[in-house]
Amino acid sequence: MKPAFSIVFFTVSSGAGLGLLALIALADLFAPDAFVPRAEWRGALLGLVLVAAGLASSVLHLAKPGNAWRSFARFRSSWLSREAVFAAALFPIAGIYIALVAAQTGGGWRAFFAIATSLTAWAVLFCTSMIYASLKPIRQWRTAWTPVNYVLLGHWSGALFLAAIAAAYAGAPPFLLAGFLLGLGALATKLAYWHSTGERGAAAGKAPTLERAIGVDKGVHGAGAMTAARARLLDVGHSHGTFLTDEFGFVLARRHARVLRGAALLLGFALPLAWLAAGASRWQLGVAAAACGMIGLLAERWLFFAEARHTVRLYHGDPRT
Amino acid sequence: MKLGLVIDLDTCVGCHACATACKEWNASSRVSGSLSDYEPFGAEPSGVWFNRVRHYEVGEYPQPKTINFPMSCLHCEDADCVSVCPTGASYKREDGIVLVDQDKCMGCNLCAWACPYGARELDAATGTMKKCTLCVDRIYDTMLAPEDRQPACVLACPTHARLFGDLDDPDSEVSQVTAERGGFGLLSELGYRPVNRYLPPRQPKAVLSDEDARALLDRGLASLASPLIRR
Repeated sequence: MKPAFSIVFFTVSSGAGLGLLALIALADLFAPDAFVPRAEWRGALLGLVLVAAGLASSVLHLAKPGNAWRSFARFRSSWLSREAVFAAALFPIAGIYIALVAAQTGGGWRAFFAIATSLTAWAVLFCTSMIYASLKPIRQWRTAWTPVNYVLLGHWSGALFLAAIAAAYAGAPPFLLAGFLLGLGALATKLAYWHSTGERGAAAGKAPTLERAIGVDKGVHGAGAMTAARARLLDVGHSHGTFLTDEFGFVLARRHARVLRGAALLLGFALPLAWLAAGASRWQLGVAAAACGMIGLLAERWLFFAEARHTVRLYHGDPRT
Repeated sequence: MKLGLVIDLDTCVGCHACATACKEWNASSRVSGSLSDYEPFGAEPSGVWFNRVRHYEVGEYPQPKTINFPMSCLHCEDADCVSVCPTGASYKREDGIVLVDQDKCMGCNLCAWACPYGARELDAATGTMKKCTLCVDRIYDTMLAPEDRQPACVLACPTHARLFGDLDDPDSEVSQVTAERGGFGLLSELGYRPVNRYLPPRQPKAVLSDEDARALLDRGLASLASPLIRR
């Protein structure tokens, strides 16, 4: 799949914002004194800004953005429509919650909006992941690891922002061990995704073939079936690129994939984890860790698209996806 | 009703007449708007097509078989392109035809991602998704002679490799020829239940088996050698 930067940035930025909002609301509910109020409401506001930046970027991906308002229309069948509805609902809900936290009031209502904010944030994050996980023609996406990755990576990058903000306002942030374990969990499930969708992974055995795509996998039918044989593309029928080759024909060189995986592991996980393990001191380092984590996740998300191979590639001559 | 096409892979000669006839008819269609071309006279011409013909070779020498493979929208019964559409622009009609409402589409590409067959193409000039309409503006046009109320691709095919009809009706020509020839749907394991059917190529006559080749080679050498010997 062509890795469109607008979509790569959207999923990483709003993922981090949604994770940040959910974590702050959870901390407010279960550990009310863990963060200073200024860190809490400014962190939540940053979360909402990250979500807004992501959504703005996603609109850039549309070929006819003037019709974007219509995307609320198919809530019952479309994950993209569900994502749009929950994302639109998040702004008033999280907006009221942030105002209550900033004013240090609320009582029962504050708890209500904390719960509503985290539930809505989770709903958006899950719907985003299901847009990809629900697509049958893309083997690399149609796995339970996709939603697990999206939810955990969103919370991991959100946790880095939260730790950086907490370090800025009150020295060493709380829940360091929990944050560290969250990072390790996100890393483990990303590695599991790469293993299961890669060339030697479990799902690779189920990859459809060109022979299957054109219906000759059991041989050429008719009177006296020909034995099953290999097929190859003779001519693709067009002289230059088409929408299909632009959108689905992206080929990632193996050595580039290796470099990007290394970057995702080092910047997205190793360096931020090292900062947390070292006690998460110095807010300047925290900001660097959060920025570094985001760059790492941009590389990870770019790979998520670049390494996904759509079934239509079979018809363009790929022997298998 | 399940309107659709039956495509005979045995008789298709891969001439692209269906694709060009489709382009010609639909370029000015009121259903899909224009079918834009990008740099049609430039160095790298490209554009939107509803129907594309690809060519494959199956098997190895001495028994290879060329299969010409036209593909357009298969008007699936369980069309994911319709269910993933967030705006409601993609819809399936009572007669089975899948269409895109050009006024509602926001050009998000998700339906094209959901289609394993590459039936949908984004028109960069209009910013909307385009796809085969099964010539819905021909097949119901009572101003046309009855035999002309068929998709443009079907009418254009010089080898009659394309048939149009109701695949829900067991007595229709398309259903009968599908049953007779073992017509199949593409990638049935994905569960889209495509309506269009492909008739498999018939058993190809072997050009040469290994034994034939050896026998022929022997005879060939003999016939080459005999005039020399006689002289």
